[in-house]
Amino acid sequence: MNITQLPFIKEIYGFLGHDLTATVTGILIILVFVPLNSAFLVWVERKVAGHIQLRPGPMEVGPHGILQTLIDAVKLMSKEMITPKLADKFLFWLAPIIIIIPAIVCFVVIPFSPLMQVREMNVGILLIFSFSSITVLSILMGGWASNNKYALIGAVRAVAQNVAYEIPLLLSTMSIIIMTNSFKMSEITAAQSPVWFIVYQPVAAIIFFISTTAETNRAPFDLVEAESELVSGFHTEYTGMRFALFFLAEYTNMFIAASMGAVLFFGGWHGPFFPGLIWFVVKVYILIFVIIWVRWTFPRLRFDQLMNFAWKFMIPVALINLMITAIVLKVL
Amino acid sequence: MRSLSGLKEYIKEILTGSKSLVIGMGITFKRLFMPIVTVQYPRRKLTMTPNFRGHIEAIYFDDTKSHHCVACGLCVRTCPSHVIKVQGEKEKAGGRKYGQKYYIDFTKCSLCGLCVDVCPEKTLTFSHEFELAYLSRWDGVIDIMRRLEAVTK
Repeated sequence: MNITQLPFIKEIYGFLGHDLTATVTGILIILVFVPLNSAFLVWVERKVAGHIQLRPGPMEVGPHGILQTLIDAVKLMSKEMITPKLADKFLFWLAPIIIIIPAIVCFVVIPFSPLMQVREMNVGILLIFSFSSITVLSILMGGWASNNKYALIGAVRAVAQNVAYEIPLLLSTMSIIIMTNSFKMSEITAAQSPVWFIVYQPVAAIIFFISTTAETNRAPFDLVEAESELVSGFHTEYTGMRFALFFLAEYTNMFIAASMGAVLFFGGWHGPFFPGLIWFVVKVYILIFVIIWVRWTFPRLRFDQLMNFAWKFMIPVALINLMITAIVLKVL
Repeated sequence: MRSLSGLKEYIKEILTGSKSLVIGMGITFKRLFMPIVTVQYPRRKLTMTPNFRGHIEAIYFDDTKSHHCVACGLCVRTCPSHVIKVQGEKEKAGGRKYGQKYYIDFTKCSLCGLCVDVCPEKTLTFSHEFELAYLSRWDGVIDIMRRLEAVTK
């Protein structure tokens, strides 16, 4: 049965038209999905961390503690939102809002399945890259406005790190884009129907993975919030729901990074037997699991190691990879 | 020539580095499926080792169906922290004296164990009690005789 024939939906559909209905429904689904996904990922992270350290992780609320993050969210909502006395009040208020908006906007172009994409765009990949760059602005805003030395150091580190790692990220993505001649997420996915791009571009995939880990400020590149040196970095002064928004954005960015990886290198929704949505979600969550696994395996880098790694290793290798790809494509 | 050896070093570093990263990931992945070693405390409790030193308690003997304390007061006098109070009574004039009340103030006890060493009847031992959080300082006063009754029942 076609869902658009239901009386109530038919009226809305007739009033708004196809495009607008799809957009509104998609945005509603995204707004529900983002917090649920973050809550689930926080639980997964704590579980994986626990089992790697031979302890069970959260166990008390719900079966195997699955409702723990829900309870934490309720606790955070009930907390007072403190603004430091000497903070820049407006920027302090604005930073958590700015960090969550790009995280949500990026969902718009992610192709969950051949049909499930809120909005098809010619510049889908560029949209994700440009919007996720705004995250840095928000981190700098929050760190600066807090009027706290730890927050400011964390924010400055975030900017340096994100600038450094955005270059190899873009270069590794470029090698895919010159293979497909398209910025469209759906076309890139469609181009990998027999063979995934990780087979053609293993080096680009590794560079992409490392740079997205750095871009989302995850360990071993979490110098931004290095809790042993900087209390908790740029969100040291944030409390309550504002802090929760930073947390939400971190896990949402992780999801976006993983879905980018799935689209660019692991064939998006392609896969046998099951519908595309299941394949896509499974691939994304496996990639997220790898990110979490990396976090609980490796120690944090020193800042000079981080910068050396970006400028002396990642960027040259990404450039060489891009050049080889271009030459091979030209010759073939 | 020198730059070539530098390049060799660079590539070698990358290869050994990535190899060690993979080994590290393997170790954590194995540990992900190892059994858990921690105990979910209020649900499951560990049994203490025989040598565990909790507060003192009286040993139950089958021949008297009770303890062997004679209320000699040696433990009271030996205790460096003065935490033990013992009261004994005779059942009849000229009969044997036996301990009737035995209290320790565990909040001040230093667990030195001198009372156990000095006991002539060998009726004192260390309990395996480890949940020693109290709501008030008077909860730290432990009635050893009542504990013994609770054990014998």
